[in-house]
Amino acid sequence: MSISTPGGPERRPTVVSTGKKPAAGRPAAGAKAGSGKPAGTPRAGGKGPRKPVAPVKVSQGRAWGPIALFVAVGVLAASIIGYGAWASFQGSKPWEDRAADIEGIVNFREKDKKLVEGGNHQAGAITYSVLPPVAGPHNAAWQNCMGDVYDAPIANEHAVHSLEHGAVWVTYRPDLPADQVTKLREKVQGKEKLMLSPFEGLDKAVSLQAWGYQLKVDNADDKRIDDFIKTLRVNASIEGPTAVCSGGITATGTAPRDNPQTPQG
Amino acid sequence: MSAPTTIESSVLDDTAPQQGRTSAPRWGTAALALAVVVGLLLGYAGGLLTPRLTRPGDASVEAGFARDMMTHHAQAVEMGMIAFDRGTDPEVRSIGGDIATSQQGEIGTMQTWLRSWGLDPAGSEPAMSWMPDGAGLVRDGLMPGMATPEEMAKLREAQGRELDTLFLRMMVKHHLGGIHMIDGVLDASDESDVVKTAQTMKNTQRNDLTNLQNALKRLGG
Repeated sequence: MSISTPGGPERRPTVVSTGKKPAAGRPAAGAKAGSGKPAGTPRAGGKGPRKPVAPVKVSQGRAWGPIALFVAVGVLAASIIGYGAWASFQGSKPWEDRAADIEGIVNFREKDKKLVEGGNHQAGAITYSVLPPVAGPHNAAWQNCMGDVYDAPIANEHAVHSLEHGAVWVTYRPDLPADQVTKLREKVQGKEKLMLSPFEGLDKAVSLQAWGYQLKVDNADDKRIDDFIKTLRVNASIEGPTAVCSGGITATGTAPRDNPQTPQG
Repeated sequence: MSAPTTIESSVLDDTAPQQGRTSAPRWGTAALALAVVVGLLLGYAGGLLTPRLTRPGDASVEAGFARDMMTHHAQAVEMGMIAFDRGTDPEVRSIGGDIATSQQGEIGTMQTWLRSWGLDPAGSEPAMSWMPDGAGLVRDGLMPGMATPEEMAKLREAQGRELDTLFLRMMVKHHLGGIHMIDGVLDASDESDVVKTAQTMKNTQRNDLTNLQNALKRLGG
């Protein structure tokens, strides 16, 4: 929109605008504005002879109606389009960016690329550098993560395999009050790609794990728990959204089981 | 659109070019061209944005159905795989495998919907809240027809003929709950792909129900 006052600086002090629609005879300045280079165009009239012109009456008033209409339509169109662009930009923000927006989240995919690349199967007990573990080699069998609520600690070696399939593993300190555990249980129970278990030696009340991500919070009411689950459940899978959580180990106990119930996947 | 509305029609100290006269048609052409360009840009932007603004949103019936039905299906896959793996009756094994593979495939379809709508696989709304009175049907996080953790544990431990009939009974219940949810989306959605897929699901599960119930009769369950 170029509702503008054309004219180069050299003209400014003496300009009198009347707001008249460009009269057929005097459209010069308007033409320059319309062509988008109001100041850069050399003016032939700059050194021409002055033409004595009678001062024009200035009190004609602008054509406010059309101006208001143009402005209203322009503002409306711009705001509709602007809102749409903003909304779709926000909505299409990749989950990685939204994960980065969660305060306190630790992104091991950036921090420790070597740690998160290892998806290999390895039998027996495995030592993990990050606890609760967030990635790395794991047993062939995964822990069942069909919204399972485990009331005792589970084996890291199976749980890490569940993370690889896109599960969010919610862990809590064993001394967490029962009402807090109930809140966590309500978030998890019955929803695939989630599981809950106590974890010995946690430094915070609750710790959430997805493949390559971790978030520790002080209580089960923390809003970031839901943000973490919404953003990373399934999305964090490195085997795509259809890797299953069923058919896994349903027993508790931190000793890994080398004889899984089902073949690995 | 871009008509300059303040044009100096006269100046005391007039330095306006004399050939201004000749550019009158050019001004009109430029304005017209600009208007056309702006109009095209607006149309282009509108065309780009419209599908984004009209596709199902995060709290829509379609997104709710897709997310909840994925959860519902995931349990059917778990049950079907147990029957396929350890059932003793050949029909039980084949029905189990059939249900597991087809419902896992449908999970992929629904995941693809959500991705194409720019939505997360996980929602923010409570389970079943996309259906009228749906949230009240949820028990301990379980949607209609879904087996409890105890029932699932029992199925995992069952052997032989007991496993066969237990699976059939649990799957009948599961399908009845599933069909109720499918009816919910058929009532509320006019998103053609969703409606088409949901209708196919319903037809398949009704057909399954007949076969499951006949097998149950045959096995004396």
